[in-house]
This record gives sequence, C-alpha cells and structure tokens, in this order.
Amino acid sequence: MAARSVLLKHLRVNAKPLPHNINLNSSFGLSFNVVRRLFSEEVRGSFLDKSEVTDRVVAVVKNFQKIDPSKVTPNAHFGNGLGLDSLDTVEIVMALEEEFGFEIPDNEADKINTIGLAVEFIASHPQAK
Amino acid sequence: MASAAAKSPTRLEVLSLFRSLLRTAHEFSDYNVREYTKRRTIDGFQSNRSLSDQQSISAAYANGKEQLAIVKRQAVIYSLYAPKVKSIMELKSV
Repeated sequence: MAARSVLLKHLRVNAKPLPHNINLNSSFGLSFNVVRRLFSEEVRGSFLDKSEVTDRVVAVVKNFQKIDPSKVTPNAHFGNGLGLDSLDTVEIVMALEEEFGFEIPDNEADKINTIGLAVEFIASHPQAK
Repeated sequence: MASAAAKSPTRLEVLSLFRSLLRTAHEFSDYNVREYTKRRTIDGFQSNRSLSDQQSISAAYANGKEQLAIVKRQAVIYSLYAPKVKSIMELKSV
C-alpha cells in the first residue's frame, strides 16, 4: 500500500483546469459541425425519395407485357392482384435492377412480391440511382 | 443421362437458375444477342413451367445449367468482339 501511494505521488502530473474563455466553440467546434453536416447530407442524398421510387417502379411494372396497366397501383400484389407467376416476378425484379442500376441479391429478390415491398427495398438501398 | 437421375431441383433453385441466365444475358454487349438470350431464356422456362414428372424436371434443370455455362462463356467471347456502334434499338431518342 505504502509503495503504491509513493508511486502515485511520483506519477502525479500538474493538471491545470482549462481556462473558460478558450475559443473552442468558434474554431474547432464550427469546423467539426460543418464536416458533420456535409457528411450527413451526402448520406441522405444517396437514398432516393420514396415517392420518386414509387413512380418509377409503377412505370416499370406498367411496361411489362403481361400486365394490364390500369391495374397497377402503388400497393398491388404481383401474384394476386396482377396475376403474375414466380417467373414473371423474377423478370420484374430484374427490370427494376436495370432501372435503378444496382443488383438485388437473390435472397432479397425472392421476398419481393408486391410493389410496396419493392419500393421499400429500393428506397432503403443507398446504391439505387 | 446421368444427371437426370439426380433429385429434382427445388423451386428456389429453378428461380435462381432463371435469374442467373437473365443476369448473364444482360452482359452481352451486342443488342441482338442480348435480347435473343433473354427471350430464349424466358420462352424456355415458360414452355417448361407445366412439367410435373421428376425426371423431365431434372433433365430440364440440367439442360438449363449447361446453357448457363455456355451463355457465360459466350458473353466473355462476345465481349472481345463487341460491336463498335450501338444498335438503333438502343438509342433512346432519335
């Protein structure tokens, strides 16, 4: 114990409290805020707007040969509402990949069976453009 | 054929083969070949969609696998001799 306190005393460093009027906020704080704002804008900018995604998805689906364009609504189901089979659904998901310029992995693509799900996945994907 | 005796593929495997074929078809730089490969893939799967007996399903699946290997190889070969001008069908506005 004694040895420990001697050691600690030896190690003690003079610590001055920071003066209160130091210019922390104006120089360092500001530039940090700017960097943070730029970064968050960049991240936000890479996600597409949900309504824009919906419009483009609906347009792609309407273009599909076997579909009656008047039946396509933003919450239609590929199988029940639009009368498509699983092969057609794969085709539509491929067409969406082409439209938005990114690859949808197989396990995600298998889950997409409504326009709503497609919109949700694409809007939450940073690489969609 | 030996592979026809193998157990028949699951629904997900078939869809995955279909997707791989379409994806590889998309890699062709020549518009005509690209569109033909896509069309042929879709037609092939649609014409076989009603197959019910295990053996013919397995045979069709094995055939699809072979075709996928061919498409992959041809996509590479065709990319070496890519057309210098685009097809008029690829121009968005004329």
